[in-house]
Amino acid sequence: MSIFAPLSIGRQALLAQQRALQVTGQNIANVNTPGYSRQRADLTAIPPQGDFAGGGSRVGGVEQLVDPFLEARRNASSSDLAAATTSRDLLDRVQTAFPVQGGSVGTALQEFFAAANALATSPQDLGARSNLLAKAEALTQQLRDTSGALATAQRDTDQRVQQTAADANQLLTTIASLNTSIRAASVGGDPANDLRDSRRTALNTLAQSLDIHAVEQQDGTVNVYAASGVALVVGQDAATLGTQAGSPGAALDGGTLNAVGIKDAAGALISLPGNLGGTLGALVTARDQTIPGLSADLDTLATNLRDEVNGIQTNAAGRDLDGNVGTAFFAGNGAADLTVALTDPRGIAAALSSAPGDNTNAQALLALGDTQLPALGGATLGDFFGGIQSQAGALARSADDQVTIEQNVAQSLDAQRDAISGVSLEEEFTDLIRFQRGFQAAARLITVSNSMLDDLLGLVR
Amino acid sequence: MILGRVTQSIIFRTLTTSVDRLQRQLARAQEEVSSQKKLLNASDDPAGAAQANRLRGENTALKALDDGIGFGTAVLGAQDGALDQAGNLVARAQEIATQQASGLTTPEARQQASEEVAQIERGMLTLANTQVAGRYVFGGLATGPQPFANLDDPGFDPTTAYSGSTTPFSLPIGTGQTVTLTTPGDQVFGSTITALDHLRTTLAAGTSPDTSVDELNVAGDALRAERANVGGRVTRLQDRSAQIGRLGDTATSLLSGVEDADLTTAISQLVQLQTALQATLASGSTLQQSILDYLPTQ
Repeated sequence: MSIFAPLSIGRQALLAQQRALQVTGQNIANVNTPGYSRQRADLTAIPPQGDFAGGGSRVGGVEQLVDPFLEARRNASSSDLAAATTSRDLLDRVQTAFPVQGGSVGTALQEFFAAANALATSPQDLGARSNLLAKAEALTQQLRDTSGALATAQRDTDQRVQQTAADANQLLTTIASLNTSIRAASVGGDPANDLRDSRRTALNTLAQSLDIHAVEQQDGTVNVYAASGVALVVGQDAATLGTQAGSPGAALDGGTLNAVGIKDAAGALISLPGNLGGTLGALVTARDQTIPGLSADLDTLATNLRDEVNGIQTNAAGRDLDGNVGTAFFAGNGAADLTVALTDPRGIAAALSSAPGDNTNAQALLALGDTQLPALGGATLGDFFGGIQSQAGALARSADDQVTIEQNVAQSLDAQRDAISGVSLEEEFTDLIRFQRGFQAAARLITVSNSMLDDLLGLVR
Repeated sequence: MILGRVTQSIIFRTLTTSVDRLQRQLARAQEEVSSQKKLLNASDDPAGAAQANRLRGENTALKALDDGIGFGTAVLGAQDGALDQAGNLVARAQEIATQQASGLTTPEARQQASEEVAQIERGMLTLANTQVAGRYVFGGLATGPQPFANLDDPGFDPTTAYSGSTTPFSLPIGTGQTVTLTTPGDQVFGSTITALDHLRTTLAAGTSPDTSVDELNVAGDALRAERANVGGRVTRLQDRSAQIGRLGDTATSLLSGVEDADLTTAISQLVQLQTALQATLASGSTLQQSILDYLPTQ
């Protein structure tokens, strides 16, 4: 055994403790870095080379403390939370089209029938007639506004679909390039821990846009698949996620809606099947189902109102103020374009005979307000609107409840991730002292070896 | 949540999430107290929103019905007044008829009396043409030409004097419920005007009005019967108006239950949340302690 061995062991130990201190320093420096996973220097003993004592210590590697299964669950939770939050924000906006404190289609409808009551009381009064026309005008305006608000919400949602798809596509490129860097580093023996953190963060951000499934490969790269199994990133190659305008007239405002999919080499879009999950999934569901559903209900209300009122107004026995059969009261094909066709208040057919002051048909109009219509599932016009309003509220409410649930799940998973990967300053400072002491001890070892050498050389003197 | 390892970020995240949640609840409670409404959006109570819509509709409809009933009451009041005066006129005509039917009077005196009867007849026709807000209360509540002709119109004939609506006007007072406000004028005043006209022409001819007393009796009965009828309608409208008032009160109180905040609850909740927020923030200040406080500075 060489007398220089303790010197060599001391040198190795100094380097190893220094390296471990460096890792601790990196952890402390990144205590607040989002997505940072704590690292640990793996100190190992250098095995003996022909003698018993061994060659000292070294850092075998720098390990990152990550639970890959937890990461997968966090990605799924991010998708769900983003979907719930997106739905909640959208539906909260949609429900403002159905205000509960008056100023809604419902109150306009009520005022229309109150005006019909006034007409039934004073069938020949031009004031009562003009008032009915004015209330009808206000009612159609409300229907058009509400329908317009839904169409605008759908248009904005479609724009967000395009924007979100573009953002997600950017992330696919980022992940593919991180794959390239990590693979290159791995070949050189570098675990590329910080690049992996960046990639985990990118994957988690991507999961907010759409539901993903990430599979790590042997070479350190990660393949990413959409919920339907379509590959988004394979190794160093990213697919192009994009949107393409669909057929005109599909939107409530008569425009086009964009489908989400993967662009092939020729730039043509291959649609992603099923619910995409995440923000995109929530946006597409709201755009293609929820908003059109509410709009269709509003149209049902508008067309039934039009047909019922026109039926009473154009009754062959009905007579207007000039003794003529009435002409159509409302015109239009739905809530979006319903208008009052009648312009002359004298044209309202309030009578069912030519007797002056007959109010029988005005009474029929008034009674319509309380009539349960089979076409509306046995609801009155007013109650049918109440149903739409209630549905819009219930959708927003359940989306908000869902957000609370998903927030709790995400919070719990974040805490679990922190429990494994998060930096604890207490731990790091303890390690700091530990490695500092180790460094001091190694230095002392060198001092002792040095004095031993001095003693040895003193023998010669 | 059971965690093996608690790091600074977990503690701070838990703190910020709690503060965030409490602040959101506080903002909501604040809004409830300041607006005094708990139903601010349909999502606050989806079923309640539909109920509020219906109750608001009921209130609007009841208000409209009550307006109609108010008008109806005015019409019936005018009818009652007119019929009362008509009864007095008939009584005066009966006196004249009784006087002139006795053998003590002369044809000249009868011709003079016919002048007074003509005035009574004119008065009766005016009463029969009574208007409320320009609408003839004995003419189907129509506007336009008066339902009864004037005595001085050329070719006046009591049997064809009425040209108004023969359809009674019915006032809506609820779902499927109506009250008939008018009886066609000829049914009310027909016999009276015919009797008065007969008395007038008989007296003008200087002859004794032998049958007029009986005719006027029958006419007076018709007027009284109609007046009793009007009284019945007034009662019905008053009952319904009182009922509408009660229904309106019920709807208003139900609506208030659905959409109004209970201030006591809302304010105590606000205070509770404020206390919770303060406690959470105070607990946050203790988080400033760390291992650094115990390490020697080297």
